[in-house]
Amino acid sequence: MAKVARRGTRGWRQRGIGPWLIVPALILLLIFVFRPLFRTLQLSGYASDILGNPTRWVGFGNYIQLLTSPDFMQTVVVSIVIALLGMALATVGALAAVLLLRGKLLGSGVFNVIFSLPFAYSAATASAVFAGLFAPTVGILNTLLAGFGVDGPQWLQDPIPAIWAIAISTGWYEFGFAFLVLTAAIRDIPSEVIEAAQLDGSGAFNLAGRILIPMMQPSILFLTVTQTITGLQTFAQIQVLTRGGPAGATTNFVYRLYQLAFGNGTPDFGRASVVAVVLILIVAAITALQFRLFGKERAA
Amino acid sequence: MTANTVTRKSRRFPRFGTVLQFLVVLVVAAGIFLPVYLSFVSAFTNNGSFARDGLFPGLDQFALGNFREAVTSIPLVQEYLVSVGVVTLQTAAQIVTGALAAYALVFPKWRGRRIIFALVLVTLAIPGESLVIPNYELVSQFGLRNTILGVAVPFLAAGYPIFLMRQAFAAVPIEIWEAARLDGSGDIRTLFTVIMPSCRPQVTTAVIWSALAAWNGFFWPLLITDTAAARTIQVGISQLATSESSTPSVIFAGAILVVLPTIALVIGAQRFLINGLSRGTLR
Repeated sequence: MAKVARRGTRGWRQRGIGPWLIVPALILLLIFVFRPLFRTLQLSGYASDILGNPTRWVGFGNYIQLLTSPDFMQTVVVSIVIALLGMALATVGALAAVLLLRGKLLGSGVFNVIFSLPFAYSAATASAVFAGLFAPTVGILNTLLAGFGVDGPQWLQDPIPAIWAIAISTGWYEFGFAFLVLTAAIRDIPSEVIEAAQLDGSGAFNLAGRILIPMMQPSILFLTVTQTITGLQTFAQIQVLTRGGPAGATTNFVYRLYQLAFGNGTPDFGRASVVAVVLILIVAAITALQFRLFGKERAA
Repeated sequence: MTANTVTRKSRRFPRFGTVLQFLVVLVVAAGIFLPVYLSFVSAFTNNGSFARDGLFPGLDQFALGNFREAVTSIPLVQEYLVSVGVVTLQTAAQIVTGALAAYALVFPKWRGRRIIFALVLVTLAIPGESLVIPNYELVSQFGLRNTILGVAVPFLAAGYPIFLMRQAFAAVPIEIWEAARLDGSGDIRTLFTVIMPSCRPQVTTAVIWSALAAWNGFFWPLLITDTAAARTIQVGISQLATSESSTPSVIFAGAILVVLPTIALVIGAQRFLINGLSRGTLR
């Protein structure tokens, strides 16, 4: 019906400046998103002078140099570990919170506010808070643990605790978003479905496993993908807490890019661009995977 | 009938499962709340006294010295104003360019609008961090380094608000648009006086998301600013975390000052945030 109506007015609809209103946004996106995309690709094929400017074409030289260095392999592993740990902490935690809160518990309004709080924190502010908690010698967390007679780990000086420190602060920061997404998802489940299951005598675990989680699956999948992508782009946490250390143990893609292009040494836009291209390709691959999974979801 | 009485009964007497459920929620909530609680209490007590003397200091421990120190240690007030400027500029521009683009993508028919919309969606999947080097070159060439405009200029248009408003406009009955146009209303007037007012909740969601993104931005503002003249509050707080690393209470005080406006927003506008989440699919 609507299509017919649209067709009938087609000639008339084409008059006016309407289509031109796309121009401001389009020009801005071309200059600040698509131009940099191609420029990054171009830069990744050049060597750099002391100022970071491209000098001579080296083709895949930068790629080969970077991809064969054990340093960069560590960066890849660290990026993925931080992204997956942060995603898992945030998604599993938020799923537990949302499922448990569904039963209209005592004080659920208060819990709702508490669980939304991390969303109010930016990555930089969350990192600042965790910097105060994890700080060596004066950190609030270890002071607290000492009160219980527990000797807390050297959060930021030992490699494994440092990765956990970054993952925990990333997971906490991502939790707020995950909670809001899953809250929206659980509200969309028709209450008749839940009531019907309860009449059948389903217990809380049964209900969650057989009805709620399957019905929230698209949102859970969406979170798994977006939180992994967000986690791969972690920067503020690393910049504030560890500066990539100790000994590169927490240097991920974005921090490596930052060090290469804007760090203390001579800027190397060429190799930094290779890191950027690798990040773009990984995010693109995950996004493509997401569309395949979502496609299947819709077909089912 | 019997099923009804059973549920009513079980509601009156909390079962073991409900108590367990409550306890688990309490534990998860404690974990999430812990950083907030520790940072707030520590910020309002003299540095170092909290945590060593226990988790619940008395009211006599109350102190504001950490806030004074945080404000003087970094030019917090100035950076606050810079952030307000960046947020205003970036949000206003994103909403105007976004609304214009969404209008052009929904109402007039023209060749290539599907491709353009696809391009807009592609921008959502590109990690912004990987575009900073060329943008750094360009903004430096314009002489906009260390200026508020330089902080905001790469984000004067953004894919997400375009997407949100396009979806909202597409749900407006076409007859409303046709009626306005037949009355002789121009495209721009139709957009701002007819279409946008009829999508107020979704436009509000777009405004909130744009403002939050502008307020929270960190990587780009860090790169493009050198002095407090154009440094945003997020960069300021990260520097406070480094310079005051031996006095966590001062860091916490600074963090509280930065996060208060967004805490108010999250509590007050949760409805709009969730709105954006269930309609849109990307952050």
